[in-house]
Amino acid sequence: MTSALLRTTKHVGLLFCVVIPITIWGQRTATPVLPDWSGVWQMVGPTVFDTSTVEPPNGRAGEPGVRERPPYNEEWEARYRKNIEGIRNGVFPDPVNTCGTPHGFPRVMNLPDVYEFVVRPEQVWILGENGPNIVRIYTDGRKHPAAEDLWPTYSGDSVGHWENDTLVFDTVSTKGSRDSDVIVDRTGLILSDQLHTVTRMRRIDDMTIEAQMTLEDPKALKSPWRVTKRYRKLPVDTRVFDYSCAENNRNPVTSSGRTLTLGPDGKPIDKVVD
Amino acid sequence: MKTNVISLVVLALVFLIGAPFAQPVLAHHAATMFDTTKVVEITATVKELQWTNPHVWIQVYVQKAGGAREEWSIEANGPNSLSRQGWRPTSFKPGDVVTLRVNPMRDGTPAGLFVGVRFSDATTLGRWDPQP
Repeated sequence: MTSALLRTTKHVGLLFCVVIPITIWGQRTATPVLPDWSGVWQMVGPTVFDTSTVEPPNGRAGEPGVRERPPYNEEWEARYRKNIEGIRNGVFPDPVNTCGTPHGFPRVMNLPDVYEFVVRPEQVWILGENGPNIVRIYTDGRKHPAAEDLWPTYSGDSVGHWENDTLVFDTVSTKGSRDSDVIVDRTGLILSDQLHTVTRMRRIDDMTIEAQMTLEDPKALKSPWRVTKRYRKLPVDTRVFDYSCAENNRNPVTSSGRTLTLGPDGKPIDKVVD
Repeated sequence: MKTNVISLVVLALVFLIGAPFAQPVLAHHAATMFDTTKVVEITATVKELQWTNPHVWIQVYVQKAGGAREEWSIEANGPNSLSRQGWRPTSFKPGDVVTLRVNPMRDGTPAGLFVGVRFSDATTLGRWDPQP
């Protein structure tokens, strides 16, 4: 009788001291089943950020007169129109023409060339071949840093979590147009350093990843702006290469904002060089 | 040698509808210096291919009417995306005689934005419709 009681006590002790704690620990640290986003991906469509509102339809970013319809307030609509006029006059250069300048968020979701989406338990990395562009999304439970520990950067600060197969991430602390070296696309779209974006990203079929972005910007926008970008998977043997802008940049920008074309001797071909 | 002689500006066609779709997405800068509503066809001799970022450049010689030759600089997209479209660093060899279609510079200077090319063996790269 005594030995039976001892055995029962041992089992109960084992249960409380070992089994239950391990189970609870295991549940807390269990790695969620993460989706397979491996491979190389290419954005679908042109580098117009919001293709749903582009005017004229099928207009390409950088062509004179092409524009979108973000819910700008009056002041930022006027700024956008000024940029559009600059494009028309050939004096609104792309900031990435200065080699080494990142595209910044949210333009980093709107790149030519290709992408890789690296899913790890603690982070997701969005790697743009056309760079330098890397977005790190922390999914380990951390929050954005306190305001005093944050400063605006090109890509901002992103934290996220998984809702089943959907990555939900929150991006703040982007530079926006404050230093005139970040645009959203070549139509002249710009946003401010107060941009707050929530992105829901998931693989909607074997060949497609979709990012639904909701952008709020109390300085520039009257209401949330919803934009969807899609990325199509390329063949499995696709490789990604260096993008070394300074290697042979024959399109420098003048002080007046004009983009030049240099000949093989390094001298401008253009008639007007100012 | 006749092929080496001018056929400069054989065609200077305005594509008010088609040309915008022919325009490549330049990964590095806007194409504002090029007139993307026009496609000019030139016959030229390859000087060199600069297989570099951020843009690939094709340097070619075009024979002018008076006998002089003029060097043209043809700007294409970057090597990364072009390699995925069948281009290689050896696609253009010095001395090759090629027919190029380009969006010309707005100011008329000898440069252009690559649209398409037809090599002497009738193979093509880029956009090469039967009618430019």
